[in-house]
Amino acid sequence: MVGVTLENIGKRFDNVVALERINLTIKEGEFFFLLGPSGCGKTTLLRILAGFYTPESGRVLFGDRDVTHVPPHERNTGMVFQNYALWPHMTVWKNVEYGLVIRKISQQERDQRVRQALEMVQMAEYASRSPNQLSGGQQQRVALARALVIEPQVVLMDEPLSNLDARLRLEMREHIQDLQKKLGITMIYVTHDQKEALAMGDRVAVMQMGKVAQIGTPRDVYTRPATRFVADFIGEINLISGKVGETDGEICVSTALGNIRGLTGYEGIQKGDRVLCTVRPEALIFLEGAPAPDDNVISGQVRHVIYLGEVEQYSVELIDGTLIKVIVYDPSEQRARAGDSVRLRFRSDRVVVLRDEEDRNEAV
Amino acid sequence: MKRFDLSWPTVVFLLGLVVFFAFFLFYPLWHAFVQSLFVDDKLTLTFYKLMFTSPVYQEAILNSFRLGMVTTLATTLLSLPLAFMLVRYEFPGKSLLNGLILVPMVLPPFVGAIGMKQMFARFGSINLLLLDIGLIDQPIDWFGGGGFLGVVILEVLHLYPIMYLNVAASLANIDPSLEEAARNMGSSGFKLFRTVTFPLMLPGYFAGAIIVFIWAFTDLGTPLIFNYRQVVAVEIFNAISDINENPMAYALVVFVIVLTIFFFYLSKALLGNRRYEMIARGHVASASRKASSGTTVLIYLCMLSLTGVAMLPHVSVFLTSISERWFMSVVPEAVTGKYYGMVFEHSMAFSSIKMSLMLSVFSTVLDVVLGVAIAYLLTRTRIPYKGVLDAVAMLPLALPGLVLAFGYLSGYSGTFLDARHYPVPLLVISYAVRRLPYMVRAAYAGFQQTSITLEEAAQNLGASRLRILLQITFPLIIANLVAGGILCFSFAMLEVSDSLILALKDEYYPITKAIYALLGRIADGPYLASAMGMFGMVLLIVSLFLAGRFLGRRMGELFRA
Repeated sequence: MVGVTLENIGKRFDNVVALERINLTIKEGEFFFLLGPSGCGKTTLLRILAGFYTPESGRVLFGDRDVTHVPPHERNTGMVFQNYALWPHMTVWKNVEYGLVIRKISQQERDQRVRQALEMVQMAEYASRSPNQLSGGQQQRVALARALVIEPQVVLMDEPLSNLDARLRLEMREHIQDLQKKLGITMIYVTHDQKEALAMGDRVAVMQMGKVAQIGTPRDVYTRPATRFVADFIGEINLISGKVGETDGEICVSTALGNIRGLTGYEGIQKGDRVLCTVRPEALIFLEGAPAPDDNVISGQVRHVIYLGEVEQYSVELIDGTLIKVIVYDPSEQRARAGDSVRLRFRSDRVVVLRDEEDRNEAV
Repeated sequence: MKRFDLSWPTVVFLLGLVVFFAFFLFYPLWHAFVQSLFVDDKLTLTFYKLMFTSPVYQEAILNSFRLGMVTTLATTLLSLPLAFMLVRYEFPGKSLLNGLILVPMVLPPFVGAIGMKQMFARFGSINLLLLDIGLIDQPIDWFGGGGFLGVVILEVLHLYPIMYLNVAASLANIDPSLEEAARNMGSSGFKLFRTVTFPLMLPGYFAGAIIVFIWAFTDLGTPLIFNYRQVVAVEIFNAISDINENPMAYALVVFVIVLTIFFFYLSKALLGNRRYEMIARGHVASASRKASSGTTVLIYLCMLSLTGVAMLPHVSVFLTSISERWFMSVVPEAVTGKYYGMVFEHSMAFSSIKMSLMLSVFSTVLDVVLGVAIAYLLTRTRIPYKGVLDAVAMLPLALPGLVLAFGYLSGYSGTFLDARHYPVPLLVISYAVRRLPYMVRAAYAGFQQTSITLEEAAQNLGASRLRILLQITFPLIIANLVAGGILCFSFAMLEVSDSLILALKDEYYPITKAIYALLGRIADGPYLASAMGMFGMVLLIVSLFLAGRFLGRRMGELFRA
């Protein structure tokens, strides 16, 4: 088991930049997630870790060892492929045993370790089957056993659950998490499913267009998104634009809807900066009673109401025309109907003030 | 919904197909089988016993086996590295090299053999050249072993493209993540190839190997030219003249059929119906990578030298065809175009071209009609026993031409179709049956690539089935049909075993038979024959080029099992 360090990794395909200045430190025994939309470079990064790609710049360290130019077969990583990549001409047993045969492990020890690995993923009874005779979930377990049986330094997972149906995915999520904790292995997991990352990860790196947008615990990246992209990509977000007023302690932003107070993570914020106030839909609360102007209170008109059982979603058109979303949990009664005028309040520690990147993005 | 949709025209056509295949595919084989078991209406196994006890036949069978094995092995060793180079690397000019590989196929090996004999004869150009520069002081017997080596070389040079197409396709079909998984587990190099890559290629490799083996085992023309007569194919050919007295040929034909079936059965038994490429693919990076400039140079060197060697027969045929005299000199002493002129003056040469054209046109028409209809039934309708129809239509791909031709000749002897009197109908049918699989495949691919929703959209707007077929479907698949037709036509023009066996009168000789006959008959034989070979070659090059233009990259699919 080792920690993994990526230093200044850059990779391009022909003229397309796939990765740019990636710096990550993954601790020993950590369950680390690379999260991002398709094309963000997360799979490329994983394949650099596995050794299938060599970066144009930067270094990959396993512990203290520089493995940047070590070929894949000498890295001792265990990879679980998106399509499982089980060899169809070998049985389940042979698939799992393969890595041990390559490592010239004695027959006796092989038997023991393969059996253990298969038991660990509850596939022992399928040992003599061919991969084609297994369901997706079962193939997934075998692929996992194959990656773990060699006791790799690092386990690499390439969207391993994306080909499974929703229920199986939930089941496998717990299973993988249990295994990771039980074995204490360093595991790096690529996914585009934010829920997977939030549910399982110790830490998450959110990636955007070949760069790391934010690294942090799941709670961090959800409640304190560093950029608009992160806020947007993980969960739903309401955006209200405005200009920075006071900056001591809480930030006070003056918007068309009144003043909004919130927190910020970015440094060098100045009075007069154009910013976005981000608020999660579930942080908005319907205000009852007589109107009284106040900070962090906005008013608008309900456009749609969608009842989903455990939650109810309201679309509210604010007085300046922006549509925001409000989510009410445990909606035992309907708070408002389409057409009603409502007022919404939110706590200032649920507001994250972000730099308005629109101009900058256009420049890039 | 009904289980099957059977309209009257479909039923009639299917019945017609049943009759056609019964008469021209199964009856000839059955006839040979029955004849091999009966003498004077009495059941006997004498011929089979004789086949395995008589030294002559033992020798012939053994030789054919050796021919098949050595050819298969050599084509394997050639095409595996070739496939790796061309599938796994990206480099400039790759598609050109890919096309170059197919080039050797444009010459029936026996025509190439004529030229090669000139070049590699005891006092042919190669030996003379080597003597001249003092590398050797005795002429080398290049085709030693009574011609065995010569036959093998010609077969290998002709057949490695077929092997390559199969091997390359199976290599390209391997999901790259399967190899990556093995590398991730610590495997690399030859070990990776042996434990993962090659096992995954096996189905495709086997398919190619069987075709090559059967082809070399049953090729008739090349052993005849090299006078390597102790092989099964030549024994069968020889027996034709005295078929009534010597029924051994029947037994040999049955032997070849059994052998063919055995190999296909073996491949099924060993590999099951494994189709690895059907396994769902996830996100995969392309398995091919950019070749470094060193690798590129190496690839070009390998490819060009191989193609150079493979073109030797073609070059030698060309040189022979323009030689005034070519004897005891490295290159022809004088050059002439007169043999090309002679092609049009010599009665047999000229009539054979007309004959071949006619036969090929008829057989192509037959192929297009049958092939399109069969492909349509297979892709667009629900008919009973679809699998059987598919298998039967593909059967001729596996069936040696020699066997079918022999079955036709003996099976219809004494009827109004008797090839001894008037071979044209049987020649047309045998050409058509043998090339039907290409046409079915080409059309099948067309139907499959054309989404059925395009037809359904027309149907939805009120078009009738026939109208849809003519106005929507055919225009969309016309490229496939044209390409398939061109291939059928050109292969019919250069068909060897059917022509050699079925055409028994001078005036009905097709090109290939005329080439063979001219060789032995007149003093200028080899020169005139070579000139005719050049005609065939040019024709085939043009046809393949045209077919390639229409089919694009899918061209290779037609030559795979």
